[in-house]
Amino acid sequence: MAKYKDLDPVMHSQLRLAVMSILMNTEMAEFTYIKEQTDATAGNLSVQISKLKEAGYLTVHKRFKGNYPQTLCKVTPLGRKKFEEYVDSLRDYIK
Amino acid sequence: METNENKMSSTESLKIISDMINRTKMNIKESAFHLLFWGWLITAISLAEYFLTIFSVLEEPWIVWLLTIPGVFVSLIYGFVAGKKQQVYTYADRLFMWIWLSFLVSTTILVVYIGSVNLMHLVGPFILLMAAFAVFISGIVIKFKPLIAGGISIWIFSLIGFFTGPAISPLAIPAAVITGYLVPGYMLKKTGTENG
Repeated sequence: MAKYKDLDPVMHSQLRLAVMSILMNTEMAEFTYIKEQTDATAGNLSVQISKLKEAGYLTVHKRFKGNYPQTLCKVTPLGRKKFEEYVDSLRDYIK
Repeated sequence: METNENKMSSTESLKIISDMINRTKMNIKESAFHLLFWGWLITAISLAEYFLTIFSVLEEPWIVWLLTIPGVFVSLIYGFVAGKKQQVYTYADRLFMWIWLSFLVSTTILVVYIGSVNLMHLVGPFILLMAAFAVFISGIVIKFKPLIAGGISIWIFSLIGFFTGPAISPLAIPAAVITGYLVPGYMLKKTGTENG
């Protein structure tokens, strides 16, 4: 078992992994877009995004689109590195 | 989607990653709009120039190409408004935008130069050469084979434009735009509609 790396606990949850996968493929994504793609509830998604933000994996930007507030999420270089490491670890498990 | 801390298998994890990446594709419908708008505009302008030349209605039939100037503004405004409505910004979206803005800058410089050295009869094939490059690379970026094939067809029509006489050369532009813009544009629009 020594050859297996421990999976990153921040990344290894369905919703957080889904959020990170979306952000890896985009420059920025709106909160509502992530919610639609993941079928998550707004409350649960907010909590998971906060955890990823606290870990330094993503940044959250607030702005206004017309009269409505808009929340945009963007992956950080650390988040990108951790995601790549997570995928590498998964490959080791599958081998 | 549940949170399910640390309960996923590696296969489930990989499935989530692949599902999410597949859902996050670029805004294909917007790209189709630009291809169709420019496809029809250039087809109309080039055919108008061809027939105006044959029937000698205007002394300088190339003047119809000035219609591309408002066309640029329509495209820019559409792109700006659509960008404001976008919920997600992919790398492909950004690359697509820069490819076409670069095409616009390069083509403008080329037209100014060709006009200054009085080689206007070669302007069509030169623009096709630039367009072929932009269409081909756009096809590679969004991984859409009809657009890649469209780029190749424009290169072929560019060659035809360079090496045939004035009777055939002007028709290379509408032929190239139909095969390189309109056909892939409608296929892209259909794909975008099917994918919602």
